[in-house]
Amino acid sequence: MSRLAPRRQLPVIAWLTLVWVLLWGTWSWANLLSGILVSLIVLAVLPLPAVTEGRRVRPLALLRLIAYVARDLVVSSVEVSRLALSPGPRVTSAVLAVRLQTRSDLILTVVAEALSLVPGSVIVEIDSPTGTLYVHVLGVRDAEGAERFRARALHLEHLIRRALPAMTREKEAA
Amino acid sequence: MPYLLAAHVLLALVAPLLVRRLGRDAFLVLAVGPAAAFVWALAQLARVRDDGAVAESYEWMPTVGLSLSFRLDTLSLLLTALVTGVGALVLVYCARYFSSGSAGLGRFAGVLLAFAGAMLGLVLADDMVLLYVFWELTSVFSYLLIGHSAQLKAGRRAAMQALVVTTAGGLAMLVGIVMLGERAGTYRLSEVVAEPVGGTYGATAVMLVLAGALTKSALFPFHFWLPAAMAAPTPVSAYLHAAAMVKAGVYLVARFAPGYADSSLWRPVLIPLGLATMLLGAWRALRQHDLKLLLAFGTVSQLGFLTLLVGTGTADAALAGVTMLLAHALFKATLFLVVGIVDRATGTRDLRELSGLGRRLPAVAVMAVLAAASMAGVPPLLGFVGKETAYAAFLDAPRIAGWASGLTLAGLVVGSVLTFAYSARFVWGAFADKPGLEPVTPRPVGPLFAAAPGLLAAAGLVAGPMSGLLGEGLAHYAETVGDGHPHSIGLWHGVNTALGLSALTLAAGFALFAARDRVAAVQAKAPGVGNADGAYRAVMRGVDRVALTVTAATQRGSLPAYLGTILAVLVAVPGVAMIRGGQWPDTLRAWDTPLQAVVAGVALIAAVTAVRTHQRLTAVLLVGATGYGVGMLFALHGAPDLALTQFLVESLTLVVFVLVLRKLPKRIVERHSPVTRAVRATIAIAGGLLLGALSLLALDARVAPPVSDAFPKEAYEFGEGKNVVNVTLVDVRAWDTFGEISVLTAAATGVASLVFLRKRTGAVPRAHAIAPPPPGPTPGPTPAPQSVWLPAGALMAPQRRSLVLEVVARLIFHTILVLSVYLLFAGHNVPGGGFSAGLVAGLALVVRYVAGGRYELGSAAPIDPGLLLGLGVLVSGATGVIGLLVGGEVLQTVAFEQTLPVLGHVKLVTSLFFDIGVYLVVVGLVLDILRSLGAELERLDEDEDMDVDAPLAGVAR
Repeated sequence: MSRLAPRRQLPVIAWLTLVWVLLWGTWSWANLLSGILVSLIVLAVLPLPAVTEGRRVRPLALLRLIAYVARDLVVSSVEVSRLALSPGPRVTSAVLAVRLQTRSDLILTVVAEALSLVPGSVIVEIDSPTGTLYVHVLGVRDAEGAERFRARALHLEHLIRRALPAMTREKEAA
Repeated sequence: MPYLLAAHVLLALVAPLLVRRLGRDAFLVLAVGPAAAFVWALAQLARVRDDGAVAESYEWMPTVGLSLSFRLDTLSLLLTALVTGVGALVLVYCARYFSSGSAGLGRFAGVLLAFAGAMLGLVLADDMVLLYVFWELTSVFSYLLIGHSAQLKAGRRAAMQALVVTTAGGLAMLVGIVMLGERAGTYRLSEVVAEPVGGTYGATAVMLVLAGALTKSALFPFHFWLPAAMAAPTPVSAYLHAAAMVKAGVYLVARFAPGYADSSLWRPVLIPLGLATMLLGAWRALRQHDLKLLLAFGTVSQLGFLTLLVGTGTADAALAGVTMLLAHALFKATLFLVVGIVDRATGTRDLRELSGLGRRLPAVAVMAVLAAASMAGVPPLLGFVGKETAYAAFLDAPRIAGWASGLTLAGLVVGSVLTFAYSARFVWGAFADKPGLEPVTPRPVGPLFAAAPGLLAAAGLVAGPMSGLLGEGLAHYAETVGDGHPHSIGLWHGVNTALGLSALTLAAGFALFAARDRVAAVQAKAPGVGNADGAYRAVMRGVDRVALTVTAATQRGSLPAYLGTILAVLVAVPGVAMIRGGQWPDTLRAWDTPLQAVVAGVALIAAVTAVRTHQRLTAVLLVGATGYGVGMLFALHGAPDLALTQFLVESLTLVVFVLVLRKLPKRIVERHSPVTRAVRATIAIAGGLLLGALSLLALDARVAPPVSDAFPKEAYEFGEGKNVVNVTLVDVRAWDTFGEISVLTAAATGVASLVFLRKRTGAVPRAHAIAPPPPGPTPGPTPAPQSVWLPAGALMAPQRRSLVLEVVARLIFHTILVLSVYLLFAGHNVPGGGFSAGLVAGLALVVRYVAGGRYELGSAAPIDPGLLLGLGVLVSGATGVIGLLVGGEVLQTVAFEQTLPVLGHVKLVTSLFFDIGVYLVVVGLVLDILRSLGAELERLDEDEDMDVDAPLAGVAR
């Protein structure tokens, strides 16, 4: 279990301190200092191995991603409700294999989480070496519907990769 | 006096460390404790002689009238000197008796010191309850000492027997003490004796107290535990079974005799029992081949003799009694220690195998002869003085009927003849040259080894001629008994009847010894005298059988049966009372917000579905849904603390359920008849309705203003917190919380002990101790991540890994921990607290375990959960002391406030530390559950799978 170099832990400490200050809900030097202290202690007492995958955050792209997912949430909720409430034959569904461009664990996970979050689609399985997601999707009737979903998933991946670009170029090139 | 006791406790605590550092020589250091007490006791001699007694008293529990009262009078002084003097010498002896490498020596030394302390407390205590506490402590320590060699079945059995017999007597004694104390209006021993409680009541009470004395001093019919207790190491026998513990009973009789000897039952019970024990013990001592057993039965006999003397209740008998008490301690301890030396030097205690030892160990033989002569009553030793005084006391016994005193005297003479015979047999058996037997070649005996018995034997020799002086001192006690005019004691009172009886005893005793072969033949024909051991076993077997029958009848092991019984009783008793007498509210409000109805509806649907489903996992999830529903109701009702806790507990319960479900079949198979189901449904529905109705009634039954009106203000003023729930937990009812975390600790330990068949302690195995899995292609889609997210993720079987779980666990773990720390610190003023914070931290561990398997758990928390649990209880408990230190009560909240630069106003509340203890306990509990129900079950499964899936199992192990 290798520990991170202090410099690379800075973002983590910043994040944990931010969480701490937000939890207390008030700004004060005491909260900031105690937040840093708590973060350091937590990281020192219960360390985790270094994440080999470094990523930056692009704030603007992140906002765009959040907006997209939020809109998708609303649209899909309405869609699923319609499917559930409408009378008639059983709703069809399909398990689709979506091959993403990325091979990154993190991006795969975030895409999978975002798809699962949205009603109507659930991740069944992930094949990490090939970057393939197997998704159970509600309301897909034909090949056209499947392609529509694939396109949505790939657009989501694109947005996520824009929001969280890799630190180094060659990583992303893989 | 408390300081002396504290010194013993301290020495007992450091004894294991000392033994580890110094080996057996640690006993020499430890002997300082009793030796100091001995010197202190002698230093009080003048004060006790002039003032009658030295007394000290400290408040203990004033509300119930208990105090730490100590009193040193003549009798206590004698016993203190014996207990501490012999104690110190026995400890010195231990330093050579044991080898440094003996198993459990540190523990043994600690317990022996603790016993010495308890014994000292016993003879000094002037409060009857305090005396009882020390009394029971000696029983417990004696149990540990007799059972020192825990691997020997005989030792364990003897220890248990001694404990059962003496505590049974002790319980009777407690009843007697309470009876006396309540009637007398005081628990002061000296006052209860000075102004005795009379009548049948008093006589009964004192008989109950004597039951304790009789069992402790191994009097017939309770004598059997003492010979069995010879399974103890010899120093223990010398100390406990000669000088100290068995004398506690005699001490108690002597203590009560001044006030109660004339009570109606006293003499009719004590004199026959004492006499019978003396004769029985001596008779059986005559036929023993094991030297130690011979001494044990001799001790039984002597204890009968002593009880008889101090129980007679005349000044002369009392004087003889205390003289004999001293003499017996000196000679019997010597003899036991000599047996220990013989045993160590030759490897045997069987007098049929020992021959010619007297010539090879002359110094030891001289000690033994001196001690045995004192026991036999040979002049000029102290034993002779005591015995002759005893004869004289019964030749002229003012308060006893003539025929009774004559009969007793005759019994005494017969007993003394037997005593002479077995004393002679002891010396002959241990040291004589026996024809036809190869002389033994003993190992050399060092001077320190022989020092203790040597000193004790010499003391018996010196005390005889000095007995006049001794008698003057002891007369202070004898004067309090009976008519209060004891005759003086000494070696020579001229030619009189007592001297004649002494001479007769010696002659007849020698004759009996000389005719030992014929005696043995007679004994062989008349066996089975006083087989109380058999009776004890029969009683214990009976108790076991009854317990088994009762348990089998009431504890059938069926959970539905238990629940059904509890619920049925609940419905039948409070339910009926409620229907008959309940005040139903006039108006009902359906809900405060419609949302409550929605949540309740969902919870109800979940509950009904849970009953109907046939999938175990579904049922568990549905039950969880009802729990979350209740949590929602709490939140809607404005109880965020309860809601938070409910949610967390529910989540953790789900995890535990699922962990256990792995071991159960997936489907719930319905095998019950419709009648059974109908009965169960009825009970369940009735129980639910009853609880609902009860809450309705209870909420409407309020007549006083609710406590919650004043609560927030009081909570802040006394508990220093704004969150009343948390203040309630850590301050108002901190004792309950402390009790609860103790129960939690016990429960966690219990669960773990049930699951862990190998060993209980130790952390979960960690990843780096394990070899990585063999590389190789795995068929099908592999969810395994490309890079390292969790330390032990790579050790999971690839098909069981989940990329999402691993990545998410990696990303949120520290954030959850920060949340948990926040809840812990903020909980005193806003929702949160140690309990919920601990649950959150526990859930963080759950996430790690679920994502990364059992080695991940080991990496996440590389600590023994038992350590966390213990630390938590310790921290909480230690916090309680802070309140005491600042002059408040235990567990009272104390706030430290300070204004610091930059940080501003900082307020530190002690109950935070209490909460940290709770936090640690909860984390420890979760870790323990994960470790036992998760990791260990996983391991057991893998063990089972070994044959099927060898490479995988090989990796995981």
